Amino acid sequence: MRTTAVLDADERAVRRATHAARLRRATPYLLMLAPIVLLLALVVYPMVYNVNLSLRSYRTGEFVGLHNFLRVFDDALFIESIKATAVYIVLAVSIEVLLGLGLALFIHRTVTSGLLRSLFYVLMILPMVTPPVAAGVIARLMYTPNYGIINYLLHAVGAIQRDIEWLSTGPTAMFSVLSVDIWQWTPFVFLVAFAGLQAVPQDILEAAKSDGASSWNLFRYIEFPYLRSLLLLVLVFRVTDTLRVFDHVLVLTGGGPGSTTEFLSVYLYRVAFKFFNLSYAAAISFYVLIIASVVFTLLQRLLVTEAVM
Amino acid sequence: MRAGRVLTYLLLALFVVVYLFPFYWMVATALKTLADLYRFPPTLVPSPPTVEPFISVLFKRGYLRLLLNSVVVCLAAVAAGIVLSLLITYPLTRLSVSARFRRGLLGWILSLRFLPPIVVVIPFFDIIRRLGLYDTRSALILLYTVFSLPFSVWMLKGFLSEIPMELEEAAMVDGATRLVAFFRILLPQLAPALLATGVITFALMWSEFMFAFILTGTPRAQTFSIGVASLVTQFEIIWNEMAAVGVISALIPITLLLAGRRYVVQALTFGVVREKS
Repeated sequence: MRTTAVLDADERAVRRATHAARLRRATPYLLMLAPIVLLLALVVYPMVYNVNLSLRSYRTGEFVGLHNFLRVFDDALFIESIKATAVYIVLAVSIEVLLGLGLALFIHRTVTSGLLRSLFYVLMILPMVTPPVAAGVIARLMYTPNYGIINYLLHAVGAIQRDIEWLSTGPTAMFSVLSVDIWQWTPFVFLVAFAGLQAVPQDILEAAKSDGASSWNLFRYIEFPYLRSLLLLVLVFRVTDTLRVFDHVLVLTGGGPGSTTEFLSVYLYRVAFKFFNLSYAAAISFYVLIIASVVFTLLQRLLVTEAVM
Repeated sequence: MRAGRVLTYLLLALFVVVYLFPFYWMVATALKTLADLYRFPPTLVPSPPTVEPFISVLFKRGYLRLLLNSVVVCLAAVAAGIVLSLLITYPLTRLSVSARFRRGLLGWILSLRFLPPIVVVIPFFDIIRRLGLYDTRSALILLYTVFSLPFSVWMLKGFLSEIPMELEEAAMVDGATRLVAFFRILLPQLAPALLATGVITFALMWSEFMFAFILTGTPRAQTFSIGVASLVTQFEIIWNEMAAVGVISALIPITLLLAGRRYVVQALTFGVVREKS
């Protein structure tokens, strides 16, 4: 009788201890539950919701299968917008990388004063942290035909006779939109590359220099290997961000003239909120999601092999 | 050699002037009178300068209300975002969590940073309209909070893993509970990091445009970014007023991020650029 009672108490104590241990082990996950649920609810659930939306006709709500998904192949505007987006991404990103990298090398090689370096660093942050809509305002002021300072300067140096309608013809509108992106984001490439250059060991550089290595060879064989993974990282950010470009385009050209600057996000916006066909827009957004995921995965795989992240 | 250096610096100074001239042009335009605006050739310096455009947009056009909306939405979302990201990052760095779960969660949260927002905003628009939340600040606060999480989780994860655990452990050995150790020991050490994270996420939310554009419709909930865009896209543009809203819109993130400039690149690259891990 007595022994069993003792056993019972022991067992209860053990059970209580394992219960406490289990609770302790679960605590971290319980704490994380709220934010994770919120992320799932506000990011993942809408994507699931999209599936349902895209398989129906928005007007009647009736099930139409893959109709919305197949429609894109006959949609000239969609194909146009894919092309415009591709042109935008390729031009913006390559120019930003070349300019930013060149600038970083130039400053790194020529400016030795620490004060000037940090001054330049701070000044280059400014365009990057300007809200895209404010950058759109600036571009509007610069490019507008009558009041615009760009036309005025071109007149002044005799480069043009007649005002250029920057935002009213296809190629110049594309140029204007691109210029804002390049103005804002070249500094990003510069800042990252500049930070990377600081990490190159000085003794190796000095040794190479005393062996008479040229400036190009110093870059090609010593600095570039240090920068490669950082530049890949920059590519991941810039390509995925240019893929979603929206804000300053809407302010500057609204996608026009015609559909020359109607990039994917802008086109999607128009389908959803001007034509008010949310179902078709949901289908298109799947294609956008697929493109984004493919780009992200490819670049990330490159990065992982470079072992940065 | 000497002459070469002078030339280099002159070149650089010229580059900076040209590169930042667009800012100057916006500020100058914002300070011009209407008469000054249409003078030809365009005047480089406003004469006489006036703050009338600022007063006109803020008070006559009612943009003060949009400014207030932006501040309320961003502050609320920053606060909520920091609490939520602490709820994620504290257990990840301080409690025992399986390494696979930790890596998976951080990776997933990072991947959300690369999700094109238009993909989510269309169904979200449909959902909040059905819930009757269209054109409310609450809808924006919710979305801004969630979309700030990738940034703040990664920032705070970096900061938290740098703060040594010894002090907290010592306090707990002395009998303090984990909660007390968190509030009394860790939080004071984390304060500068929280401030930096808050400042940067505030600036990013302040600049946000697409969600606010699609999910609001009236000054009841519209943010300042929407005000900027609506002045630019209206039929007849009043240049000095448009420039004035541009200046206000740019001034806030610029001031904040200059204050937190040490962390800007780190934040924008999720900590990769500062520390390689």
